Amino acid sequence: MDRTLTSFIAALRSADVRISTAETLDAMSAVELCGYRNREFLKDTLALVLPKTSDEKSTFNETFDQFFAFEDVKGEDVVVELDGDGNEGEGGSGQGQGGAEGEGAGGGKGGRKKNKFSSFEEEQDEEDLGPGEMAKPQSALGKLLIQDSRVELTVRMASAAKEVSLEEIQVFTQKGLYTRKIMEEMGLGDLQQEISTVRQSPNIPDRRLGQELKKRREWLREQVRDYVEKQFLLHADATGKKLREELLRKVKLSNIEHRNFRLVQEVVFRMAKRLVALHSRRRKVFKRGQLHVSRTLRHNMSYDGSIFDLHWKSVKIDRPKVFAICDVSGSVANYARFMLMFLYSLEEVMPKVRSFAFSSDLAEVTDLFERNKLEDAIAKTLRDYSGGSTDYGQAFEDFRNKCLDDIDNRTTIIILGDARNNYGDPRTEILKEMYDRSKRLIWLNPESRNTWNVGDAEMRKYSAYVHQAEECNSLTHLDRIVGNLLRTIQ
Amino acid sequence: MTDIDKLAGSVSNLQAGLEAHRYICSSQIATAVYLAYQLRKPVLIEGPPGVGKTELAKTTAEMFELPLIRLQCYEGLDEAKAIYEWKYGKQLLYTQVLKETLDEVLQGAKGFTESVNRLHEFGDIFFSEEFMEPRPLLKALKEEDGCVLLIDEVDKSDHEFESLLLEILSDFQVSIPEIGTVKAIAEPPIVFLTSNNTREISDALKRRCLHLYIPFPDSDLEQRIIHARVPEIPPELRRQLVTFIQELRDLDLKKVPAISETIDWARTLLLLHTESLDADLVRDTLNVILKFQEDIDNVAAEITTLTSKAVKN
Repeated sequence: MDRTLTSFIAALRSADVRISTAETLDAMSAVELCGYRNREFLKDTLALVLPKTSDEKSTFNETFDQFFAFEDVKGEDVVVELDGDGNEGEGGSGQGQGGAEGEGAGGGKGGRKKNKFSSFEEEQDEEDLGPGEMAKPQSALGKLLIQDSRVELTVRMASAAKEVSLEEIQVFTQKGLYTRKIMEEMGLGDLQQEISTVRQSPNIPDRRLGQELKKRREWLREQVRDYVEKQFLLHADATGKKLREELLRKVKLSNIEHRNFRLVQEVVFRMAKRLVALHSRRRKVFKRGQLHVSRTLRHNMSYDGSIFDLHWKSVKIDRPKVFAICDVSGSVANYARFMLMFLYSLEEVMPKVRSFAFSSDLAEVTDLFERNKLEDAIAKTLRDYSGGSTDYGQAFEDFRNKCLDDIDNRTTIIILGDARNNYGDPRTEILKEMYDRSKRLIWLNPESRNTWNVGDAEMRKYSAYVHQAEECNSLTHLDRIVGNLLRTIQ
Repeated sequence: MTDIDKLAGSVSNLQAGLEAHRYICSSQIATAVYLAYQLRKPVLIEGPPGVGKTELAKTTAEMFELPLIRLQCYEGLDEAKAIYEWKYGKQLLYTQVLKETLDEVLQGAKGFTESVNRLHEFGDIFFSEEFMEPRPLLKALKEEDGCVLLIDEVDKSDHEFESLLLEILSDFQVSIPEIGTVKAIAEPPIVFLTSNNTREISDALKRRCLHLYIPFPDSDLEQRIIHARVPEIPPELRRQLVTFIQELRDLDLKKVPAISETIDWARTLLLLHTESLDADLVRDTLNVILKFQEDIDNVAAEITTLTSKAVKN
């Protein structure tokens, strides 16, 4: 039974629940204690040992229900399970008992299948042979199909699936491939052969057999497809998701499609969370603060109890002050969206983010972010400010009027923009002023480095007055830049 | 087989035992206690405030008739307050006393080396058990018959403190540099940690614990809890007020009422000799269940609908 547990844990892991080896061992000793008899008890027990956040708990519940419902198929409940699952009502045996666990995803489809199979609809081009004697099938699979022995078919299916290593399925497009592979493993070749021979045979019973076999082959195919689908959901969906996420991290932010925004947001949050964990607390011992009595006494013990080496304790948490100035004109809007998303996800470690948006005129949008949900705020910002044609000179001018005085030597300014100024006055002197006052001024340019000075781009002029100019067009870039930002601000 | 073993022998026994001590719980919670006892693993309890996380530890101690040792965590909590501390005053005093007798000790010693050697014979008396003040964690390990150790609101403590806990949680021992490793004497304690999730607990700590999430109870369970805690309240009113609270939890509130608030409210209503909920009464007593003016204002508009819904069902 340990095998069952480890494969369950593998399924959990692929569903993004992090389980260490130590926890696996814990689970084993827990299961030894509670046994497999009582399903609810087992679920309660494993729910305590394996998942460690409430998110993971709900994933766990789903996976448990799927996994252990399925486990029955291999066991003694095979008939029950198959019936419940495929809704093959005419099989009859044990339908009642099977109902409880068989109402999985297969339910809806199963219903249709039942019609197809049990109402004996003839396809239109089939000749009507009427009822009567039917020849005996020769191929192994054919025999099983005609005997209608579901138990054996299921066992066959499971072992065939193992043979073609179904658990390695990764993306949904492979479903067809695996279905075919399993069918072949089960002896589809022979069956096909037989079907085509008997259908051409002059004997009516043979031809009848042909029709019957064909029908049942279709039924089997559906069964296998269902099975593959279930296994896919169990083993591969998460891997597929991981692949997609991996891709999203690298893809250019402007190319991310709208439907993937949610996923990106998840990725951003996760990346931000990692940074938060990394940088959330930093303890510093200072020459001031509270007297650390015990340590002082301890250290002065060796000086005969005369206290002259004082120790202080003081916790200092450094929180960078960040000004984010984003170009939200059409060409850069999408990048701005993700950077703002990133910065505001870091609220725990960077509570003092002030953000500004401009295309021609610059405005502060900090309030907007405080009052609205992140997505709404971003949407509103992009709607309200992305109208005009880009004018960096004007934007800098506005910035100087509004809040140049707020910049001190602990402030980091991040400017996100492509520096394409429509041949206007770049006003580098204001940027210089900002550069002089701030601790760091970082310019993030979504274009790749070799186009920075092409056309109306003013990057060459601006880059004289920034501490750091970086190409930034994917989440990985963003992650690295923000990570560095948190590291350097100490 | 001792009483405790018998009690902790099965989940249903435990559930009944907890219930006898007026802690009504789901089988999930009882299973957690069962595993904690059988596997001797600490339980990390998470959940919204007021669902009975701390209460579970207290009740367990009561049920097993074990002493409860509680360590309340807060920012800045360190080993000196959690594990042990040297008795500095005593150490200083003894130094002063010894200084006077130093001459006697060193009498007859020739040269510096011999003097130092003689002093070495005394060993590190200042850093021995007599000079040590045990704090909750160490105390829990030294408890002869075992105990229930409650580390409350572990999320309020610093990251460093979490790491400090790791040793005691996985091996039931603490290392004190001057003395060595102190192990649990006989029975290792049953450990509960609670967290309100104000920050993420590190994976290392989570890995060593069973993880129990206590959500808000469903209507049935909550009614039973109220019945256990405030038995005098009539069944009809109990049903109404639980329904009302359950409805309230679905609203978008700054702080949703927890079980403790439901209990408080039940007591309040009992005190006011209430027979059945009505809108005015609810409005007057709303401050018992809602703790923010903002929430009270939000709910005030809906009171009539909510009340009639609760009364009707």
